[in-house]
Amino acid sequence: MYRYDAIDQDMLADRTAEFREQCARRLAGEITEDQFKPVRLMNGLYLQLHAYMLRVAIPYGALTSAQLRKLGYIATAYDKGYGHFTTRTNIQLHWVKLKDAPDILDHLAEVGMHAIQTSGNDIRNITADPHAGATADEADDPRIWAEALRQWSTFHPEFSFLPRKFKIAITGSPKDRAATKVYDIGLRLHRDDAGELGFEVLVGGGLGRTPYLGPTIRQHLPVRHLLSYLQAILRVYNRHGRRDNLWKARIKVLVASLGAEAFAREVEAEWEATDKAAIDLPDTELARIRAAFAPRDFETLPPTSAAFEAAKSDPAFARFARHNVKAHKVPGYAIVDVSLKKPGETPGDCSSEQMALIADLGERYSQDEIRVSYEQNLILPHVKLDDVKAVWKALDAADLATPNMGLITDIIACPGLDYCALANARAIPIAQAIALKFADPALAEKVGELGIKISGCINACGHHHVGAIGILGVDKKGEEFYQITLGGSPEAEATLGQSLGPALPADKVADAVDHLVDAYLSQRQDGERFLDTFRRTGLAPFKEAVYADAH
Amino acid sequence: MPMLIRWTGQAAVAAEDPFTAVADETPIPRGDVIVSLQRFQAEGERLLGEGRKVGVRIEAHEAVEDIARDLPRLAVVALAIPKFRHGQAYSSARILRERYGYQGEVRAVGDVLREQTRFLARCGVDAFEPADGSTPADLTHVIGRYRHVYQRAADGREPAFVERQAS
Amino acid sequence: MKALTGNLLDDGEAVFLDHNGRWAPRFADAELFEDDAAAMAAEAHAKTQQTIVVDPYLIDVVPAEHGFAPLSFRERVRALGPTNKPEHGKKTEGGEAIEALLHAHGAARSKGRLDKIKR
Repeated sequence: MYRYDAIDQDMLADRTAEFREQCARRLAGEITEDQFKPVRLMNGLYLQLHAYMLRVAIPYGALTSAQLRKLGYIATAYDKGYGHFTTRTNIQLHWVKLKDAPDILDHLAEVGMHAIQTSGNDIRNITADPHAGATADEADDPRIWAEALRQWSTFHPEFSFLPRKFKIAITGSPKDRAATKVYDIGLRLHRDDAGELGFEVLVGGGLGRTPYLGPTIRQHLPVRHLLSYLQAILRVYNRHGRRDNLWKARIKVLVASLGAEAFAREVEAEWEATDKAAIDLPDTELARIRAAFAPRDFETLPPTSAAFEAAKSDPAFARFARHNVKAHKVPGYAIVDVSLKKPGETPGDCSSEQMALIADLGERYSQDEIRVSYEQNLILPHVKLDDVKAVWKALDAADLATPNMGLITDIIACPGLDYCALANARAIPIAQAIALKFADPALAEKVGELGIKISGCINACGHHHVGAIGILGVDKKGEEFYQITLGGSPEAEATLGQSLGPALPADKVADAVDHLVDAYLSQRQDGERFLDTFRRTGLAPFKEAVYADAH
Repeated sequence: MPMLIRWTGQAAVAAEDPFTAVADETPIPRGDVIVSLQRFQAEGERLLGEGRKVGVRIEAHEAVEDIARDLPRLAVVALAIPKFRHGQAYSSARILRERYGYQGEVRAVGDVLREQTRFLARCGVDAFEPADGSTPADLTHVIGRYRHVYQRAADGREPAFVERQAS
Repeated sequence: MKALTGNLLDDGEAVFLDHNGRWAPRFADAELFEDDAAAMAAEAHAKTQQTIVVDPYLIDVVPAEHGFAPLSFRERVRALGPTNKPEHGKKTEGGEAIEALLHAHGAARSKGRLDKIKR
């Protein structure tokens, strides 16, 4: 894990001092809300329906135990005892007070955390594969590059007033667990035929009102040129992105209007004129960052664990092992999922007590590391197979062991109209109603892999476009209605969902999902996933299942 | 007329402004002037030949490349910021300084607010016409607030990765 | 009929202007303006209270069973609190005002009911 050095800590100290001063001036009436609001937003502090919301950055979804413990403390001391993990692997506190914000930022700074650039028209948190450093299938650890980008993008003087927000995601693995095709910049690490490490650079993906899958504008960028090349992309965007219309201001619109090839040429021309040596990191700095993420403390263990195998005689543990335990690159170790999706609970929410427990488990069993996935779950990335049973027991006692990773009850849902001032409809109660219908773990297992993603408005923070079943809340004459899409996927071969039919009222959605599952189970061949059945049959059987019955 | 504040690299100081910003329809007065890009393209040669200092105002959507050839003869480039969230000026300033090596004054005009001056200064802006009544002391405080920077820009400050190499 | 709402600057709480010209957390205490001119005057005055309330605005209010409710669905959520964690909002106060919010039908554009989604 990257640990802040004195310079990184100074940055936070200067930032918190600056914000404390800006806050005091606002509270004293020396500056107006119009003057303060952009400053407040650049520190990740929103005013929502019920209260201020603070979005704390979790760079590339990686936490130490001390950091998670501190988040739990802050949630208790300054909020209502819980936090919400988001699809950008950040954490939101939904009930903070402006007058407490400077103190909260000071507490965060103590453990090298902050809320810098988690809002505003700037470069946001860089997300990465949550299995980084633990998975065998990565060309390189994406966290190294995410950390390089974190520093480069922080208080970037040229790119803090972009036409709109800017989101970057990085995967080191061909199995894309970072959804790189649906972000402003997606970066895919690989080696070329000569064995040189490089990025495939995708630009112009995005969800929201006009979803796009990002085209590749450069197949191979040698890794040492990451910063200079990104400067070229951001500069083209900063100069030419639309500023006249909020809904057309993301880079995806610029790329689509120019065409990917023309856009790529603009970037290459700008890059050619750039003094790359001035911008790219020297080898010494890259080596320093790389060393921070180097594996440590792994014991030499046999590839299988007798204790782990024996524990599977307990069917509940066996089910947990089937769904929430993933292969680790080091023999004798495993990646353990911590489910924040207990049916009936708010997806992605985690209480202070749960955070403290997970922090302890991370410290004791996972080399002090915890990860956040964009599916709003947590991960203990380096657990010995011998220890998985003990970890499971502890998680189970805290309602964190629902064996549902990737299954129908592992629902992504934004906070929606219950919290968010932008929403048209609620997302959480829909998620809860669906999850409760499929709460029986045997039923969920029978249904198999099925990603349900729910957004409360067109901004698509719930990623509904890339749900196998996507659900979008809309306001139809003041009532909550929901449009269903099918066949979306955030994987390497990403697809956007297709609309199933007219929007359904709130109280019909869970039943509709039930009908969709029935249709799938009756059509399913050779144990294919819901997504595969849909790709084979198209909409017709699903449309009939829902709309023959809906009125 | 808003106050002109210069950033010396160490401090922000109040400055006399010898330039008159001249609108397109207005006759050019005597003395040093700042005119629009369009007007400069039409009358610039003549103005420069009259022995006065000439500056060009670049709107947010305009390209500094269009005055690249003339930069050695321009005393000021004024970058217009229509609303503070319009960030094109930051790119324009860096291109002027880093790509063209422009040595004259780069002035930020328009919706120039205190909190943005730190970023503008890092991009090579060395003069401000603040729209929010900020004083030189205010800007000195804001611009000098951070002890380190993470990335190279136009202000010549050593980025963190260079500081780390030294230690 | 209108009410005036905003969020308190220092702690962000959703509040409503009450009969004493103070900012109250409960919608039940909101002053209901029958006269648009009076409502707009109150809004204009609130906008000068920059150190107390942020972005005050008027909302439409309609009669509902046992009382009154904001016409807009969003404003009813705001008055009640989040429906997934009622203990964090104002719902636990119970009483007639809360019942009115929960079961209200708005007129014309806004008929949304908060109790429709079964858990």
